[in-house]
Amino acid sequence: MEKITVTINGKVCSGERGDTILNIAAANGIIIPTLCHHYNVKHYGACGICVVEMENSPKLLRACSTVASDGAVYFTESQRVIKVRKIALELLMSDHEGDCRGPCSLNCPAGTDCQGYVKAIAQGDNRHAVEIIKEKIPLPASIGRVCPHPCETACRRAHVEEPISIAFLKYYAADKVLASDDPVIPKPESVSGKTVGVIGGGPGGLTAAYFLSLAGHSVTAYDAMPKMGGMLRYGIPEYRLPKSVLDKEIAEIVSAGVKMENNIKIGTDITLSQLREKHDAVVVAIGAWNNMGLRCKGEDLTGVMGGIEFLRKVALGQPSGIGKSVAIVGGGNTAMDACRTAVRAGAENVYVIYRRTRDEMPAEDIEIDEAIEEGVTFKFLTNPAEIIGENGKVSAVKLQVMELGEPDASGRRSPVPVEGKFETLQVDSVICAIGQKVNVSGFEELELNSRGIISADEHTFATSVPGVFAVGDATNRGASIAIEAIGEANKAAMVIDGYLAGMDTPYRKPYVSERNTEDIDFSRFEKCARTKMPVRPAEERKHDFKEVNLGFSEDAAIAEAKRCLECGCHDYKDCKLIKYANMYDLDADRFAGEKHSCFVEKKLEVIERNQGKCILCNLCVRECKEVAGKGILGLVDRGFKTVIRPEFRDSSVISGCADCLACVDACPTGALKFIGNKK
Amino acid sequence: MRIVVGEGSCGIAAGAHKVYEAIEKLGSGIELGITGCIGMCFLEPIVDIYDKDLLACRLVRVKESDAQTIVQAVKSGDLTQLSGLAITEDDKSFLDKQTRIALRNCGIIDPTDIDQYINAGGYKALEKVLSMTPQAVIDEIKVSGLAGRGGAGFPTWFKWNAARESNGEPKYLICNADEGDPGAFMDRAVIESDPHNLIEGMLIGAYAIGAAEMVVYVRAEYPLAIVRLEKAIEQAREKGYLGKNILGTGFCCDMRIKAGAGAFVCGEETALIESLEGKRGMPRLKPPFPAQCGYNDQPSNINNVETFANVAWIIQNGGEKFAAMGTKDSKGTKVFALTGKIKRGGLVEVPMGMTIRDIIYDIGGGIRGDRKCKAVQLGGPSGGCVPYDKFDTVIDYKALAATGAIMGSGGMVVMDDTTCMVGMAKFFLDFTAKESCGKCVHCRIGTKRLLEILDRITKGEGKDGDIELLEELCDGVKSGALCGLGQTAPNPVLSTIRYFRDEYEAHIKEKRCPVGECRDLLTYTIEKEKCRGCTLCAKKCPAKAISGEVKKPHEIDKEVCIKCGQCVTLCRFGAISVR
Amino acid sequence: MKDCKCSHKISDLSLIKNVLDQYKDKPGSLITVLQKAQEIYGYLPTDVIYHIADVMKTTPAEVMGVATFYTQFRLKPVGKYLIMLCQGTACHVNGSERIESAICQRLGICDGDTTQDGMFSLKNVACLGCCSLSPVMMINGETYGSLTPQKAIEIIDGLYAKEADK
Repeated sequence: MEKITVTINGKVCSGERGDTILNIAAANGIIIPTLCHHYNVKHYGACGICVVEMENSPKLLRACSTVASDGAVYFTESQRVIKVRKIALELLMSDHEGDCRGPCSLNCPAGTDCQGYVKAIAQGDNRHAVEIIKEKIPLPASIGRVCPHPCETACRRAHVEEPISIAFLKYYAADKVLASDDPVIPKPESVSGKTVGVIGGGPGGLTAAYFLSLAGHSVTAYDAMPKMGGMLRYGIPEYRLPKSVLDKEIAEIVSAGVKMENNIKIGTDITLSQLREKHDAVVVAIGAWNNMGLRCKGEDLTGVMGGIEFLRKVALGQPSGIGKSVAIVGGGNTAMDACRTAVRAGAENVYVIYRRTRDEMPAEDIEIDEAIEEGVTFKFLTNPAEIIGENGKVSAVKLQVMELGEPDASGRRSPVPVEGKFETLQVDSVICAIGQKVNVSGFEELELNSRGIISADEHTFATSVPGVFAVGDATNRGASIAIEAIGEANKAAMVIDGYLAGMDTPYRKPYVSERNTEDIDFSRFEKCARTKMPVRPAEERKHDFKEVNLGFSEDAAIAEAKRCLECGCHDYKDCKLIKYANMYDLDADRFAGEKHSCFVEKKLEVIERNQGKCILCNLCVRECKEVAGKGILGLVDRGFKTVIRPEFRDSSVISGCADCLACVDACPTGALKFIGNKK
Repeated sequence: MRIVVGEGSCGIAAGAHKVYEAIEKLGSGIELGITGCIGMCFLEPIVDIYDKDLLACRLVRVKESDAQTIVQAVKSGDLTQLSGLAITEDDKSFLDKQTRIALRNCGIIDPTDIDQYINAGGYKALEKVLSMTPQAVIDEIKVSGLAGRGGAGFPTWFKWNAARESNGEPKYLICNADEGDPGAFMDRAVIESDPHNLIEGMLIGAYAIGAAEMVVYVRAEYPLAIVRLEKAIEQAREKGYLGKNILGTGFCCDMRIKAGAGAFVCGEETALIESLEGKRGMPRLKPPFPAQCGYNDQPSNINNVETFANVAWIIQNGGEKFAAMGTKDSKGTKVFALTGKIKRGGLVEVPMGMTIRDIIYDIGGGIRGDRKCKAVQLGGPSGGCVPYDKFDTVIDYKALAATGAIMGSGGMVVMDDTTCMVGMAKFFLDFTAKESCGKCVHCRIGTKRLLEILDRITKGEGKDGDIELLEELCDGVKSGALCGLGQTAPNPVLSTIRYFRDEYEAHIKEKRCPVGECRDLLTYTIEKEKCRGCTLCAKKCPAKAISGEVKKPHEIDKEVCIKCGQCVTLCRFGAISVR
Repeated sequence: MKDCKCSHKISDLSLIKNVLDQYKDKPGSLITVLQKAQEIYGYLPTDVIYHIADVMKTTPAEVMGVATFYTQFRLKPVGKYLIMLCQGTACHVNGSERIESAICQRLGICDGDTTQDGMFSLKNVACLGCCSLSPVMMINGETYGSLTPQKAIEIIDGLYAKEADK
């Protein structure tokens, strides 16, 4: 074969005469994207993604089919090329009707592949499920127990009957694997020689430490408390998350290479700048451990304490001093943890004081129900007006009676005092669980926002001090749920990994295709009730700190997992379309218009074809004809209406499909899916 | 005396054949014949009366009921009684400024009679060519400067030469008669009116490239053209112009017709080849070009009808004579289908270099109702508009391209001040979007999105930035589309934005159609003071949207109104206002 | 296609035998065969398409692809009167859109549909080439030019009246 020489993006490349630009580029390590080209069929030239510019040529060339000319100069990423490529991708996405990822994953702050692990559980592969979870969450058994699961809030199964019990499935799978002799403990693949200090051993800090360690850095986590776990250990009561479970998961993080130092308080034992000097990067993940005050008369009395403070004392085995009657102020999960812990700590009368009604309570329903079962009395539409003391100690709380007024900015109806209407509760202590603050002592050199919280860049997690990053409750919007901190830590780990390699790699939310839930017809799904988590009876559980939940049985877990509608695309990880869409920074909405419907066809028995995801690259048709020699698939109609259909044969007639899957293998998107059993 | 009825498609549509039958019935003994289309569509049906071989009288807009008078006049030999039907001097001038080469026999000879073609000098060029070398033929065409009349304007000799030099047997010569531009019909006229001219031109081409088989790909919508061409092929075979050993020279070449099945994209040569092969008409990637690998993967040459219609003339009269006409870059003549808001619409053939103004005003007689001319659309859905103030642009490939329009296949649609240019762009995009084959992304989705954006603009739902969005998308579609259809589809949008941006802005910003054509932006109301309650509008309203009592002001139900404008035309009191 | 009722109709395949005999060994003649089949059956019934695919040694998918690509082919029977409404440029400029809405209004159908009584089908077509008579429609081969919405409706009403007389 005769050799020719071309210049591609300034690089001199050699190839054989008669070969295409695409092939010569590929042989020289330059990848030209294409959607409709596949090595085993004739070129077609439909997608227009592989266009390249040739010097002195007014027209762009399709690299998949254009034979390279000797001495020619090509550019595969010139501005003109990118513009045309980008428009092609925007047009394709504007006619793409599908979900890259399920609403569960998209709504998970950590972006966990919920659908992926639920499916693994449904298939009985718990270890694989944990592998999937651990790509985002290093503490699956703990988080599975405590997470208020935004994934389930978004779950589309709710439109059929009830969402999938995603969080408890995670808890189930993680427990199974923890109990097995084959734990999932990834190891760093390389050693970077860089060191990172992580301040704070809570979910955020541990997650950052875990992923940075797996990225090959030497990571040390520091924590002021005697043990790691942060709020998971000192804020979440034992009956919800047994310390033994947390201990095992933390041990796995140590096995993944993270070094841990406890009882180190910044500003006392070591300063931030000392740590900064010791490490190449520092992550601040100190959480929000201070309580918001009640701001009413009597809040200085002995017997008034914060919810966090109370839970911590109990966790540390210290006397709590709550007495026989206790009022908990607040309606969130901390208030629920506090009231149920108070019951277990021996209080006889436990009240929850909340200024709105149950409907407005931010706490999870199940928590409220279980608290009521355990004998907690809810005083809705009341608010502490004054804490009354005797001898400097709490004796009663005077409650202002409230009513609901107009909805506020959050859409919730705001409580308004009913003039002159009060009642009084005789109590020994008042636990205030109305919010948390960040204790920034020791971190004075970091810039704070107007609320006194550490400022961190939303895309880079950088603080005002170079090399110091911050995540979780201690930053920006303040206290939130554990999975938020984990999500941030996850992203921060990627950014910091880049930073340590000398790169600026801010986190960018990946672009995905999403369907409108309103467009989906849920009536075609058969109803199947959500599996309830079995719990210990209230009378039994209220007297001890043993775990309330009993966990799913294998059958229950598999049945629950099988309820998943599998909204997300099976091909998300391999889809070339979404890969390119993210490479070229699309603005897909600007060409929004009519779309092909999400018609799903199963005519080929083992292959499911989703028209909404088809980009008409015609590869399946060509594979079927040229490779399989069958010609079962074909184009129908023309113009925008064009679709690919198998022949219109009645289903009683055998289609002639050889199940060779050449079409499925070649499909660049998730339009074709194998639904049979692999031979 | 001999009576000849013009029976082209448009003549027949206007009733020419009924006139023919009526004359035939009444005038036994009178010599009666037909001819094709003379191009004066605005005067159809046309009846010519010949005295010996001279045109004695041309009657226009003839009705069936005129047959009696015509027969009488011819029988009596006194044609003066026909003066009421005769063409006016003014209308005669339609032909005066034209130079007819491709259309030279159209409307003169009987297309169903090969002898009339031969008598007019037909097949002489073929005889001449058969004594020349193929190279000499190509050289002669090169001298003439003939370029493809289908739209692209590629030099004909170059294509012929490429096909001739290409290795591979057999070679094919294909005629593209898939005239799809909505508003162009010259190819149909040539086939219907002078089919042998096409056959002869193709034979010369086949001889030059060494093809033994010729195919004419004709639009399905042209049944008459197919019938006439079939007959002509048969006659040519009988006379030895087609088939084996043509005119005893050993040259063998035959011809067949392939009827298209309705797809504009098949005017694109590679799509045409796919269609000829019995497949979906989806364009192939070029290269390889058809000259190397075309029909049945063999070397093929494709030209359009008008191109071939010039060939015999060039051989007969010499390439230099052809090249003497026109401009530096564009030689010979070009046929245009002059339509739209024009007084005298029809087919005109003019030498290159004539100005658009001359065509519209001198030949076409100006704008209907003497309204203000706004622009002319050249090249149909692949072309663009030339605004009134650029009417001094001459007919020349480069000069027209500079205005943003193209020569195209010769559609020339005249627009007056009642034509909405955004609506015009939408019309063309609707056409190309429907005709897109659906293969490449840029065209399949791009034209659809362009149409959607134009649609929302004409509905008053346009957004700020839509013009820029259109421009950007147009640019992307032009550079990214696979074939000529997609690459040129944005032209009508770009050229209307270029010259009539203010109209776009009025639609988008003021939700107003400046010429009052976009129906969604209009409301029809009856002005109470002016309405006399004559009930005419209510009776004739196709949507039954108008109600009211006799002699009392009527009302239009806006929900039911389909905005057809019928009431406005009917109202004698000007009581219906459109806003 | 589940909703395609016509697929259960049984066509007389012997009608097309001669055509298939003539073309089955000529590569590239699928379009011609389909055109002839449509002349015979008035449209392309599904069983005919399958039969053509078998005899022409191609696949039904291929035949369906061709049959749906070209506007000439119909997969459903048309009405007794086929209104072909010209959508060429000249007709557009002279108001074909208004004619279309008047016809649609009168017949209660859209482009491509057939009336319930099977009398009329409406099809927008590319230029019919009678630009000087624009706007134009063609009904069963007869050309009607210089239309107004009113005139178009009168023509349809006239055809209905003619049918009623029969």
